[in-house]
Amino acid sequence: MGSRQIAEKSLSILRSLPRISLGNIRDNPGSKITQKRGRGQHGGDKHGAGNKGGGQRQNYMRLGYETGNNPFYLRVPHENYYKGHHHRRQYPPLSLKELQLTIDKNRVDITKPIDIASLVRSGVYNFNPDQKHYGINLTDEGADIFQAKLNIEVQWASEEVIAAIEKNGGVITTAYYDPHSLFLLKNPKKFFETGQAIPRRMIPPSDAIEYYTNPETRGYLADPEQISQARLKLAQKYGYQLNNIQNDSIYNMLCERKDPRQIFFGLEPGWVINLKDECILKPKDEKLLSFYAI
Amino acid sequence: MTSLLVNSFKKLCLTSISRSTRVYSTGNSPTVHVSHNLSVVQKGWKILPQYTKPREVWIENLDTIDENKLGLFQLHPLVFAASPRIDIIHRNVIWQRKVRWVSWAHTKTRAEVRGGGRKPWPQKGLGRARHGSIRSPLWRGGGIAHGPRSGKTHFFMLPFHVRIHGLTSTLSAKLAQDDLHIVKDLELPTNEPEYLLDLIEKRNWGPSVLIVDENDVVPRNIAVATDSIQHINIMPVYGLNVYSMLKHDTLILTLSAAERIEERILNHLHSIDSNKSTAFKLDQV
Repeated sequence: MGSRQIAEKSLSILRSLPRISLGNIRDNPGSKITQKRGRGQHGGDKHGAGNKGGGQRQNYMRLGYETGNNPFYLRVPHENYYKGHHHRRQYPPLSLKELQLTIDKNRVDITKPIDIASLVRSGVYNFNPDQKHYGINLTDEGADIFQAKLNIEVQWASEEVIAAIEKNGGVITTAYYDPHSLFLLKNPKKFFETGQAIPRRMIPPSDAIEYYTNPETRGYLADPEQISQARLKLAQKYGYQLNNIQNDSIYNMLCERKDPRQIFFGLEPGWVINLKDECILKPKDEKLLSFYAI
Repeated sequence: MTSLLVNSFKKLCLTSISRSTRVYSTGNSPTVHVSHNLSVVQKGWKILPQYTKPREVWIENLDTIDENKLGLFQLHPLVFAASPRIDIIHRNVIWQRKVRWVSWAHTKTRAEVRGGGRKPWPQKGLGRARHGSIRSPLWRGGGIAHGPRSGKTHFFMLPFHVRIHGLTSTLSAKLAQDDLHIVKDLELPTNEPEYLLDLIEKRNWGPSVLIVDENDVVPRNIAVATDSIQHINIMPVYGLNVYSMLKHDTLILTLSAAERIEERILNHLHSIDSNKSTAFKLDQV
């Protein structure tokens, strides 16, 4: 509502008009265009289809066919850049700028560790595990204005992004989730309503193990000792003072990590979440306990 | 010119009232303040009105035929003083008509009409037009070409926010035209239908009245009284819709119903749930 007070004016006009009822309402004039077959000078004659032949009968040649020439798509040698692209893992991006905006708008709570579930819940990030989306690629757009101090877990991050987060005293982890776990993280309520036990997170496939065990990418399977060394090394490379986490007031929050077999923060595999009675059912059977043991 | 004067006078009155009595409370439950034998219900809205003033309406009673003003009630301008978009109201009405409409009109094609398997006369030599079947669409008593076929659904889904703005537009239009009244509750002293008819006649409420309560359980007296009157209907908040509001001349909301409507619509207007803005898919249920 601007300074012109459109709503106020139209409401005051309505006071002196007949009662709005089913019989006297209509859509905006011209809002619905009905397709008509024009006659004569109004697009009649051949109706734009031309005279005789394929054009008139609208039996067009198949796409790429050049009436007998060796077609372009066969003339050029085949270079298979995208071979098997539909089998590759994809990580839809989320930039540091968007993340900072989300935090500034108070749409995500940074007093708790952030993972893909909390970002999906905030509404800024969406992905489809069934389309080979394997989680967040945190990109470095807005790295120079990023100021939040947080504990974040993403699925892919570059060196600049890791530096931008650690510069502010935050912590970043890259973690792998299998597609089934990602479905759960995307819509936990839908899964809990099925009444199934929370499954274990699967280990990464062989071609992803290297990334997720690498301390330089802050992989969740990397040795913590090596990670702290890599943090120091990165701080020296980018020239910032590394925050000493041990003396931090939010030390406990910054140290919080998921177990490699765990999907949700605070919930362990094997538990059943009963939304109706608002309680958690934990397994007691020996077999189950050994199966779900973290 | 006169309308400008009237408007400025109204604004003056509003500001003078607001200075003396109206203060926003921070709690969620409304508190009732009594001053000069008049209660002003102050609302603890989660989303405060920013650019427009809250609308104030009288709280009326149903337990006497004569109208008693029990107090003043504030309505949120985003819900009850929104821009009255007639086109959005119209789209909602069309949607409500179509969403449940299954057309059972049916005609037979030339294949379904009985007979007509034999060529009526030879192709050549008679000087007559060539025909292959007496049930061709050209023939009297023949099949119908491109006729209606039964079981055609007209179902479609209006975008979520068009449905929400349909509700706010209709509620705002009803309030602006003095066709919306707030009553304290639905307690009647008697279950006679005549009592209700007299009350409506006396207060100049339109012949047809839609009463909206928060829940689908209403006091016995009003349920019995309205049972035999076709043009006075009761509806819970979850059933509130544009079509019914327009079909009835007057809309009566109980206090709790008005609060519930406000709360739900404000919630939807300000939520960031991206699922609502996505297009409706048939398998999304």
